[in-house]
Amino acid sequence: MEIYLPIAGMSLNIFLVVGIGGLVGFLSGLFGVGGGFLLTPLMMMIGIPPAVAAASDSNQIVAAASSGAFAHWRLGNVDFKMGLIILVGGITGGTIGVQLVYYLRQIGNFEFVMKVVYVLMLGLVGSAMFMESLRTILRSRNPEAIEAVVSSQPKLVQMFAKMPLKMHFHRSGLYTSAIFPFSIGTTVGIMAALLGVGGGFIMVPAMIYIIGMPTIVAIGTDLFQIVITSANVTLQQAFVNKTVDLLLAMLLLIGSTIGAQFGAMAGKRLKGEQIRILLAIIVLAMTVKLFLDLVLPPEHLVSLAPAKGGGH
Amino acid sequence: MKLLAPLFAGMCLVGLFRTDALAFSPEAQEKVITAASKNVIQIGLSYRGDEIHFFGVNPVAGADVITRLTAEKDEVIKLSVKGKVGPFWMTVKQYEVTGAPFVYKIHANKPVKEIISDDLARELELGYPAIKHKIKMHLVRGKAEPGDEDKIFQGLINIKESDNLYNIVEDPARLEIAGGKLFKHYFRFPPKATEGNYQVETFAFKNGELVGYGKDVIRIQKVGLESWLTKTSQESPVFYGIMAVLIAIGAGLGVGMIFRKGGHH
Repeated sequence: MEIYLPIAGMSLNIFLVVGIGGLVGFLSGLFGVGGGFLLTPLMMMIGIPPAVAAASDSNQIVAAASSGAFAHWRLGNVDFKMGLIILVGGITGGTIGVQLVYYLRQIGNFEFVMKVVYVLMLGLVGSAMFMESLRTILRSRNPEAIEAVVSSQPKLVQMFAKMPLKMHFHRSGLYTSAIFPFSIGTTVGIMAALLGVGGGFIMVPAMIYIIGMPTIVAIGTDLFQIVITSANVTLQQAFVNKTVDLLLAMLLLIGSTIGAQFGAMAGKRLKGEQIRILLAIIVLAMTVKLFLDLVLPPEHLVSLAPAKGGGH
Repeated sequence: MKLLAPLFAGMCLVGLFRTDALAFSPEAQEKVITAASKNVIQIGLSYRGDEIHFFGVNPVAGADVITRLTAEKDEVIKLSVKGKVGPFWMTVKQYEVTGAPFVYKIHANKPVKEIISDDLARELELGYPAIKHKIKMHLVRGKAEPGDEDKIFQGLINIKESDNLYNIVEDPARLEIAGGKLFKHYFRFPPKATEGNYQVETFAFKNGELVGYGKDVIRIQKVGLESWLTKTSQESPVFYGIMAVLIAIGAGLGVGMIFRKGGHH
């Protein structure tokens, strides 16, 4: 059964689109990650124009994150003050990012930059996860080798706590500088626009290890700021690039919400490190594919640039 | 007959103004009567391209027939050319191409070359060489190199052919002429063919000369939700953006309510 996507301007099999949403939702339910970083590249692989893929993915993330944020808000896991500071950064970054997308589309290298950033991000996250889960598996095999995990957390947390603009964050139980949450918000905001990702896979570790927030508050606060950041990116994409395909976003949402439920169920039956090494392999395989796209001679040297140039 | 009046007028005009750029205008030829299986294509939710069948009467028995599908308006296209920068392949220059048809399909009952001379083909804009002659390209970014023109043109043809917007089929089975008199064929409108008016023109040739011409207009339009979403996203982006966000938040909260356990994060 085909469905015509009005903004992407193409018809795709509806089960393929919902299925991709479902697969990513399943993985995100299984691994506890947002999954946006897998969704955009997958959509590009089935032929959706990169800019439409990224913009519609942001729209889908608004929906996916708001259901999670709602649940965490009821459990009291959202540090609104911290979230708001990250948000100011996120909105600044998102706005810059959308303008960057506009410029890159003009000069015809949006896809190139997007893939480079993806390769760097996925490569980094994939190898870090692979190493971490491999270590865990090896450790569980010979218990004698268990070493005390020395965390570098206190040092970094102390360093950021020394910077100016100090504030109290009651929910996180912290007294620290506002500069870091703002700047990481900006970075993730730019990436959200460029890649169509929520950024949870960078934000959550940064909040835990660098800012020093409790894990559950970091996740709740992250989801809260993702809703607002992605909403901002969706709005900006709709205003500036006109590339939000609402139909595509809704199809992905249907798939991802259902998939996430099954993923969460499956997650309870598997061992954590086995799941993580699996995800690491998927991420690394994707990295290799995107990297090859960058360095192998393209099939077609001449390609279409977005038609409406300075369409004012 | 209503049809005959403009026809005669056309013939007279051609007779009077022989210095006109075209030796003769196709409209002045005997009318080729055709019937299309439909004249409007609607893009709905389940649209996946469409096919329109045409039937016609050959004005001169045994004449060869060439049909052409084009969109009413040309488009301005920007083409990016990739080159190697260090180890990476990225866009190194861009050309703006004007005058290229958005859609261009030619069907003929045998190779166009065997039906008419190259000059006539160019004059009537039948075949890729005529397109190449007609389009203009200029460099927007990067450095021009010799051979760019051919490379860009071939690139354009490849892109259009892979989207099934351009093709040339010279096959008596595809454009069938029964008994030299009745012809039938079909044009496939791919999903990439957007809203607008398209024209299907029929040219009949005998001994290398144009002996008949006919034209049908096909309209493609988005309907229902497809039409509304496209129009709103382009014409009221602010409203569309806010709507997209509100729908997403509503859907997310709705889903959150349904799966109350707060299962995934």
